[in-house]
Amino acid sequence: MPRYELLGLYFDPAPVAEAITQIRSLGVPDSNVEVISRTPYKAEMLNRPTQRGRVGRIALIGAALGILGAGGLTVGIYMLYTLNQGGQPSILPVPPSLIVLFEITMLGTMLATFIGFLLVNNFPRFKSRIYDPQVTEGHIGVVARADDSLAIQVEEVLNRTGAHAVRRVEVTDKKDYRSRYFWGAVVVVPLILLAILGLFVYDIIRLPIPSQMVEQESVAFQQGPRLPAPAGSVPVQGSALIAGQPASEPVPVDENSLQRGQILYTINCAMCHGAGGAGNGSLASHFTPPPADLTTKDVQNLKLQDIFLIITQGRSKMPGLSENLSPTERWDVVNFIRSLGK
Amino acid sequence: MSTSELDRPIWAPEDIKDEELARQEKHLREKHLLLDPRFPPEANRYMLDPMYRTTREFWILFVILGGMVMIFMTTWGIQMYWGLGLTGLNRPVMWALYIVNLVYFIGVGHAGTFISAALRALKIEWRRPISRAAELVTVFALMVAALFPLVHLGRSWKFYWLVPYPNARQLWPSFHSPLMWDMMAIFTYLSGSILFAYLGMLPDLAMIRDHSEGWRHRLYAILSLGWRGTEKEWSNQETALNIFSYVIIPVMFSVHTVVSWDFAMSLQPGWHSSIFGPYFVAGALFSGVGAVIMTLIVLRRFMHLDYFLRAEHFNGMGMFLLLLSLTWDYFYFNDYIVSWYGNEPVEKVFSHILTSGWAAPLWFLMLFCNAILPALTLWSRKVRTTPSALFLVAFFVQIGMYLERYLIVPFTLGFNEFPYSWGVYIPQVPESLITVCSFGLVAFMYVVITRLIPVVPLWEVYEGQVLHGLKRMGRALIKTKAEPD
Repeated sequence: MPRYELLGLYFDPAPVAEAITQIRSLGVPDSNVEVISRTPYKAEMLNRPTQRGRVGRIALIGAALGILGAGGLTVGIYMLYTLNQGGQPSILPVPPSLIVLFEITMLGTMLATFIGFLLVNNFPRFKSRIYDPQVTEGHIGVVARADDSLAIQVEEVLNRTGAHAVRRVEVTDKKDYRSRYFWGAVVVVPLILLAILGLFVYDIIRLPIPSQMVEQESVAFQQGPRLPAPAGSVPVQGSALIAGQPASEPVPVDENSLQRGQILYTINCAMCHGAGGAGNGSLASHFTPPPADLTTKDVQNLKLQDIFLIITQGRSKMPGLSENLSPTERWDVVNFIRSLGK
Repeated sequence: MSTSELDRPIWAPEDIKDEELARQEKHLREKHLLLDPRFPPEANRYMLDPMYRTTREFWILFVILGGMVMIFMTTWGIQMYWGLGLTGLNRPVMWALYIVNLVYFIGVGHAGTFISAALRALKIEWRRPISRAAELVTVFALMVAALFPLVHLGRSWKFYWLVPYPNARQLWPSFHSPLMWDMMAIFTYLSGSILFAYLGMLPDLAMIRDHSEGWRHRLYAILSLGWRGTEKEWSNQETALNIFSYVIIPVMFSVHTVVSWDFAMSLQPGWHSSIFGPYFVAGALFSGVGAVIMTLIVLRRFMHLDYFLRAEHFNGMGMFLLLLSLTWDYFYFNDYIVSWYGNEPVEKVFSHILTSGWAAPLWFLMLFCNAILPALTLWSRKVRTTPSALFLVAFFVQIGMYLERYLIVPFTLGFNEFPYSWGVYIPQVPESLITVCSFGLVAFMYVVITRLIPVVPLWEVYEGQVLHGLKRMGRALIKTKAEPD
């Protein structure tokens, strides 16, 4: 490591190129010379070797990592949790996965380019290097590192070629600890943040948010005990007996009821079920299946309410009679049908 | 080589004896920023002085815009507490103003990075002083755009359910959903745009570090990462910026295409169209370039950036705006004629309501702002180079493009294949307040950042000034550009 670092400031690129040529002829290797400027100059303008950077290659690594990550997200997760969607193929839908692949590859490329840019330049640099604020005022600086006797010769060259300010400092061999702390923080801080986030996300710390779904009562699929239906709810499949409604309030069996029932039966039912209820009414032959024989055990053993509901809603070819008969009238007919079996 | 020749710095004016040529040289210097280098400390001050100064105008604007931000946040808080029922959302219009704002602000965010990256890749020189102001429009518009899905989310705190990570619910977001693509595209574009803008900013941050004291010096010493301007740093920066330019252009196209797919992938009549992707991209660039023009004019007026932003830049941007207006016309006509000719029952209803129904004023105003006004005015160089006139045209373009999105989202969604469930959306107070104040939010962030970072990339301007010069051909001086390999 050479002992001294020299900086000469110039107004224009031409004398800079001249100075660089002369410094090289003194025997200072190109790696120990640097030019600092506020605008980019091409290497050939200043008689410097072309710079070869590694940013491009690092970007390619980022792209490759992006492709892998995207593959993991699309293919991997599809394997773990198959989610068939809108008739897309059941193995792996390629077109939608390509979009994810594109975005994540591009993200990987850009992140890697940025990180690569920082790494190859040793950014962020906190250790002060030889520099002059006049550089951002348009001056061009030539930096050379050399040992004792060579340093004096370099200084002479800088003065001779027209540098208006020349400085010489001793190179210190201090490590840039703060830069290390920075990169340490880049790795550690996101991990800590992730861990803190994980505390909430995995419910290790649970915030009392009123709408938490997990706080609500729930039962797994096909597992008991079944919860009681909430108050006031009604079934949506078929009819139901509700206390206080007509279907739950039978009319008592008496002479009058049976008589009313018979009259209503003759008007509304007999043409199919027959006057005696044997299923042999004048229209009976037109139906398949034929009208039921009301005198059989099957019918007679039905609950009163069931017969009431059949009259109300109809069954098979039989129409519902709720519009023709009031609930009381239907109960009269039920009583009459019950009397047919005896 | 004589010493005088060696010592003439680029900012020193050329000594021209011929009177006619000297007149031509003066004229060209006035016209072209890149032919008009100044003494560097002086040129730095043109940018730093308005940055370091907080005028009364600045504070008035700061208070007004800050108030709008407060209203935005308060309204959002109220909406979060009481739920989305406060808004005019209904069935079938469950996507309305918030989604319009999302599309609009992503659109506005398009032009910035495009101007910066595409014009950089194409080596178009007038981009130099405007690229950073444009990138900042992208960054802030995208930030606000990314906020709108959260505002629209009702239970905004559940946003992390979109993030793919192994979770306690045993659920993964579906990567085959356009909404998921949308989130990933916006995230990629936003992070790329921020990094791209920051990379290009480093030399200027170093410049401020060298010309400031106290807290500013300490802040910029950290922000500039120790930039000195060595050959290695410049060369790596150029590589990185080139990679970013070429990567971010396709990402930019993908973002608004994916936004259009949020709509086009459904079977909703009026949305299910294969031209939606490019049509949205064209519209996005159109409104975005308009927004950048407005930003530049305001910056020039209030930060006194007359040295950097000249007629040539507004001329270029104006032509760009005209070109994009024509592109928009082309895509819109494509979208319209196919559904008009197809004569599907539901699309017939749209057509009727737009041309002669209740939405006709909106539709004709949109056509006027997007197609007729730019075509009638922007062909004129005088309009393009008069800031107030160009500002007005760009402003009408914003109105037109907002209306276009409004007609695409809540209007179209009201008419689906089931006429019994048709509906009309009427904006209510919460979403109207949030919408108006979201413009304030973008402007607020922009106003604050103008005092923190130079909105003109000085090093790019200086680089251009090094590379540009005059060449004498016969009796005339011609502007030339040196292009090193």
